[in-house]
Amino acid sequence: MASTSPSEIAARHDGNMQWLVPRFDHAVHAAMDRDTTAWWALDISDARPLIAAIATGAGPVNRAAMLLDTVRIVDVNQNTVHALGPLGGRRSMIGRTVSAYWPPESWTVLADLIIAAVADFPLGAPRSRPMTSIAFTDAMMNISTDETGAHPDLVFLSVGGTVIDDRSLWAVRASEQRYHNLIHHLPIALVQVDSRPMNPIFEQLRRDGVTDIVAYLDERPDMARHSRDIVRVTDANRNAVRLFAAESADRLIGSVDFLFAASPDTAKRVIGAHFEERRSYTEMMKISTFAGELRDVELTVTYPTPPERLDITLLTLEDLTDRLRTEAQLRQLQADFSRAGRIATLGELATSIAHEVNQPLSAIVTNAETSLRWLSRDEPNLAKIEQLTTRIADSAHRAHEIVQRIRAMAVRHAPERVPLDINTVIEETLLFVRHDVVSRAITLDAVLAPALPQLVGDRVQLQQVIVNLLLNGIQAITQRSGTNGKIEVRTGAEDECVLIVIRDNGPGIAPENIGRVFEGFFTTKEDGIGIGLAICHSIILAHGGRISVSNHPEGGAQFEIRLPPAPRN
Amino acid sequence: MREALFDLLQVAGFAPHAFDSAAAFLAAYGPGSIDLLVTDVRMPDIDGLDLQERLRTLAPSLPVIFVTGSSDPDTRARAMAAGAHAYLNKPVGDKLLLGTLRAALGINGTEPDA
Repeated sequence: MASTSPSEIAARHDGNMQWLVPRFDHAVHAAMDRDTTAWWALDISDARPLIAAIATGAGPVNRAAMLLDTVRIVDVNQNTVHALGPLGGRRSMIGRTVSAYWPPESWTVLADLIIAAVADFPLGAPRSRPMTSIAFTDAMMNISTDETGAHPDLVFLSVGGTVIDDRSLWAVRASEQRYHNLIHHLPIALVQVDSRPMNPIFEQLRRDGVTDIVAYLDERPDMARHSRDIVRVTDANRNAVRLFAAESADRLIGSVDFLFAASPDTAKRVIGAHFEERRSYTEMMKISTFAGELRDVELTVTYPTPPERLDITLLTLEDLTDRLRTEAQLRQLQADFSRAGRIATLGELATSIAHEVNQPLSAIVTNAETSLRWLSRDEPNLAKIEQLTTRIADSAHRAHEIVQRIRAMAVRHAPERVPLDINTVIEETLLFVRHDVVSRAITLDAVLAPALPQLVGDRVQLQQVIVNLLLNGIQAITQRSGTNGKIEVRTGAEDECVLIVIRDNGPGIAPENIGRVFEGFFTTKEDGIGIGLAICHSIILAHGGRISVSNHPEGGAQFEIRLPPAPRN
Repeated sequence: MREALFDLLQVAGFAPHAFDSAAAFLAAYGPGSIDLLVTDVRMPDIDGLDLQERLRTLAPSLPVIFVTGSSDPDTRARAMAAGAHAYLNKPVGDKLLLGTLRAALGINGTEPDA
């Protein structure tokens, strides 16, 4: 078969390029797998003037592209067609220029080989060259001419090596391109890391019986630092460059040290998760940008497992700085808003509060004066004096407690999240409205269900909600100016929630207003500013609960609050 | 506060009786059983002004002294218009209270041990 004239075969166009091959036993070809080698037969007749110019040293700069634009495909074999996939197709390829199908990254190599084969320029230039191919490992290109001289314008090109991917070259390229685009245009910062240098260290540590690598690294800061040096960033997308305020991706390529500069302990835990062969690892961390700014990010590391490329560990960094800042501002605003509301409420309750404080003070005055009278007798009644003094102390404690509770309502404090019993919270609030209730001859019933689940929240803010709703009820009843005013506070459990119901027998809420009562600055009272119920709403929302209002069938408004119970440990 | 007043009146030489509500007082009241009434304004069920109103027919000559935390001028005016002997705001000093009591009862002189 080797003696068959390639021109004859080419003329037959039977598609089996093996017949075209003049010397398949060539040393280079011997290393190739005959079944997977891709063959091209190329017509260089139109390229001769350019080749001649190049051979005299007068070729243009972009000679490869120009040359390959003039070299036409005479035939290709099935392996070539397969390698090109949907891009190729033998019938469509024949007669077209080789530049239309040849991967641009190896145009220069191909052009050099053609010039070597046709013009032996530079003198003695090799006819075989390695090439980079995503289809083969150790890919070789080999070029030859028709030694019989029958077809001087034909060159034969073979590409071979060990096949990496059985899919078509085109599919692989498209897939690579998709991956590249995806990575680089993701709206999240993404960094590609080669963590393989850790593998021999891990193997050694496993042999040494180390199980807790985080503790191990804690004791060996040098090793932790070394690990951050040898693990390297190999690629970074646009958002990663932006996040780190770098000029270009090149700034991020290299040691991962910069990633963990502000959170060195995170690096240990990332190494730990890798050592434990976890698939991924996530934690909140701080990064220091190249502009020297600290930012809060959520880091997610995805470790490769076979058959994925083991040199690609993916790190995503979601910048949460602005979100956390906004959330903190919102919490602060909510707290300020609540406090403003409490101050306003305390103003409304001034008479009630003065009365509550005055009660124990009056008792102290009278008991003390009575005590003095006993003392001034000829035979002081010591037992009586002791009793009176005890009462004085008790009243003083009571007065102190009341002042403390009022103070708690008035002072600025950061919102707390502590376990609370809602019944206790309600009982504590009754103090604030007791005088208002009694002086208006309103009956206040508290029906508190025993053994309710605990809540997590801010005691003062929840007291504020209850006080506001009670005050709302008192004012509604007063507005109606009738007698037999009645307010009921009820607690219970409902659907895993703690339920608080506050109902009055006032005039109720006008139907056109019922959807607006929780809006800020909505009020039907002449002297109201309309923030009480809006604050109740915002506090309950901040506690993950709900508040609603309706008119009771028997008259009056009914507020219902549902709060989630404290999570069980 | 009720206990405190009781003890004060006792040490000052009076013979007080204490009731925890207007209703309890009315239930125990008989003509001539007491010489003077000291009451608060704000009380559950029957308040001080209501009690005063009832006593106008029941015991028209019984002196009534209010000792209260309520400094509301309207309440004071109503109480005084209804014939209260005095309307004292808490905290009330012992000398003022006892002096007022003695005046209401027509007892002359100052306290023996003051």
